[in-house]
Amino acid sequence: MRSTFMGLETSKRGLYTQQSALYTTGHNIGNANTPGYSRQRVNMQSTSGFPGVGMNAGTMPGFLGTGVEAGSIQRIRDSFVDHQFRSESTKLGYWESRSNAIAQMEDVIGEPSEYGLQQSMSDFWQSLQTLAANPENGGARAVVVERGAAVADSFNYIYKSVSEIKGNLGDEIDFGTKTINSLLSQIGELNKQIATVEPNGYLPNDLYDARDGLLDQLSSLVPIETSYEKTGGRAPAIAEGTVTVKIKTTGDAITVVQKTDVSQISIDDTDDGALPDFMTGFTFSGGPADGEQLSVNEMVKSGELKSLIDSYGYIDADDNEIGLYPDMMTKLDKLANEFAKEFNKVHQQGTDLEGKPGLPFFVANDSGEFTASSIAVNEVIRKDPNKLAASDSTTGAEVGNGKNAKNLGDVFFAKNKELDGSSVQGFYAQVIGQLGVEGQQAIKMTESSGTLLLSVSNRRDSISSVSLDEEMTDMIRFQQAYNASARMITVMDEALDKIINGMGTVGR
Amino acid sequence: MRVTQSMLSQNMLRNLSSSYNKMGKLQEQLNTGKKVTRPSDDPVTVMKGMGYGMQVDKVEQYQKNMGEVNNWLDSSDDALDGVGQVLQRLKELATNASNTGAMTESDRSAIKTEIDQLREHLQDVANTKVGDKHIFSGSMTDKPLYNKENKSFETGDAYKSDVSIEVFDGVNLRVSTDVSKMFSDIDGLLDKVKDLTGNGSSDDGNSFGKMISDIDGQLDVVLSKRADIGARSNRAELMHNRLEMQEGAAKKQRSQNEDVDYEKTITDLITSESIHRATLSVGARIMQPSLMDFLR
Repeated sequence: MRSTFMGLETSKRGLYTQQSALYTTGHNIGNANTPGYSRQRVNMQSTSGFPGVGMNAGTMPGFLGTGVEAGSIQRIRDSFVDHQFRSESTKLGYWESRSNAIAQMEDVIGEPSEYGLQQSMSDFWQSLQTLAANPENGGARAVVVERGAAVADSFNYIYKSVSEIKGNLGDEIDFGTKTINSLLSQIGELNKQIATVEPNGYLPNDLYDARDGLLDQLSSLVPIETSYEKTGGRAPAIAEGTVTVKIKTTGDAITVVQKTDVSQISIDDTDDGALPDFMTGFTFSGGPADGEQLSVNEMVKSGELKSLIDSYGYIDADDNEIGLYPDMMTKLDKLANEFAKEFNKVHQQGTDLEGKPGLPFFVANDSGEFTASSIAVNEVIRKDPNKLAASDSTTGAEVGNGKNAKNLGDVFFAKNKELDGSSVQGFYAQVIGQLGVEGQQAIKMTESSGTLLLSVSNRRDSISSVSLDEEMTDMIRFQQAYNASARMITVMDEALDKIINGMGTVGR
Repeated sequence: MRVTQSMLSQNMLRNLSSSYNKMGKLQEQLNTGKKVTRPSDDPVTVMKGMGYGMQVDKVEQYQKNMGEVNNWLDSSDDALDGVGQVLQRLKELATNASNTGAMTESDRSAIKTEIDQLREHLQDVANTKVGDKHIFSGSMTDKPLYNKENKSFETGDAYKSDVSIEVFDGVNLRVSTDVSKMFSDIDGLLDKVKDLTGNGSSDDGNSFGKMISDIDGQLDVVLSKRADIGARSNRAELMHNRLEMQEGAAKKQRSQNEDVDYEKTITDLITSESIHRATLSVGARIMQPSLMDFLR
């Protein structure tokens, strides 16, 4: 037998539940612009019917509904899209960082422009030609010496700038690992909180959101895999549990977060905090991956961290030194070395104004092999341009002989075996061309992975983000349901009024 | 698909930034007049551009060298013209002097004086300077061909060596003219004429006759030297024309490779601008209204 006030109780539940839904709508609206927020939904469910099932339960037609309750408040999210998002974000992280590194290199190399190495070489060549035609002219000599110095300066400047940026990339790697460590610790901390809350039957939606945000950030740095473990207790079926984070490698993935256990990552050989010339890899400490090592060769080619390393330079499996910046520096060194050597050779075959054999025109600052950073014009010649060996005379001073100056000019265009059969000028053009091709590829990849990420992100937003129109519609729905439940109570009130005040007064 | 405000605003932001990007690129192209400003814009264009740039610089330099060549050749020709005149005058004098019967003592001494002047003039011509170069001194351009201290014309190898100037890749034009023997021969001739005139001898006129034919021989030498210079001038002229063509070709190649096609770029800019305006106006329309505006 149902109770007299059952209708009131049913309507009251309706009021409460619609109110919860209204509050959640308010929460959604409030967080419409919160980054990483997923909209929430009150999962309403009808309460169990009357009478309850049992031996002593009375019999009556069917079950009589007893109203509604808020079963759970769930955030709307699709873990598959999260997975996709993170894998695209890793790719974008790689290419964005790479195109950035290449753009910086393009900036300092400054080709094509009127200030690049190419122009200074061209100016140098012109001055040598002028000297060849006017070997007796002191002005032409001085110009050659200064233009030669300009070429050396260009080499020095480019090399120095490139190595400075390389240093910055090293700092970025350092910073990247610190960020990764901080993210891992935070994820571990959130796991801990989630594991405390869930067994009590709650769904900590805001903690899930925070954790997903951290995972998104982490994924742009390194490629990750995630899996979840249930926390047990009275945790709701839709509770997410704790996340296990693994860093993908070319072999087995390395577990870095498991429940509350967190590993930290450190760059190999950096006790003093300064990076070595070339990286070899990372070591993990603490947590599930304690003592494990990740060499650069085993790193998957995605994520900002790997991109920075690819730019900065590392030692590969065969002990080769690889990397965008070191490659450029090696090429510049090679070019400077071959150019200076050939130029000196020709210069030393000539004779100067006094009929003495030519000195080396270029000298290495540190008196070793020529490098882009050490190449400089011989001070003796700089002080006395008459020591320029413009003449090819073998018998003595010939002021009007400029044949060797012409030969010096030809050094720019002579094929050189050491430069893969190219000329000095050709080799440099190739270096620039190759840089351009790599830059172009990086930009294209950045664009395409950016577009993909945007479309995945749109898909995610389509599922999880707050639509104000939708919330307004919901608001009206819940408000009307709330009003209707209240009206239902009025009806009950009137019915009870009838029972209490209007019944049993027959004949009065 | 469910579409939310954040998606709309994100997409609009991205569209706006990509159209700003495009317009920025076009702006840069229009400002610099170049299609490319960095290697990654178009590696092939940049690489080719470096080669073409060098080519243009080279042609420019060769044209400067060509000026030098003309300088040398024109000055040499002028100077040798002077030498020719000296010889002509000498011939006249010798012819006069050969007429021994009609010669008075004062006539002879006048001829001797004039010959001395001619000699000095010849030495000056031999030491012709263009700028700070002695053009007849081979590769010893800082030294005069006629050495006033030794009172002789220099004969060392270096004074005879060729000076040539490169006027195109691997094409060298000789600009010097080896005249040291010619000058000393003429000088000797002057001496002889002077001597003969002084002696007033040569009753039969045979010596004078030989003299005059020697002078004619030297005139031939001068002429052949000038013909040689003329031939080289012709070649220089040809090279000059070729260089001008090359200049045009190199600049055209460079321009085609890297210069902006203004009509096309401005049209692109206008198109991008229209798209940008459309993006803005669509954005403004779509972002504005929500259900809020229509609820009481």
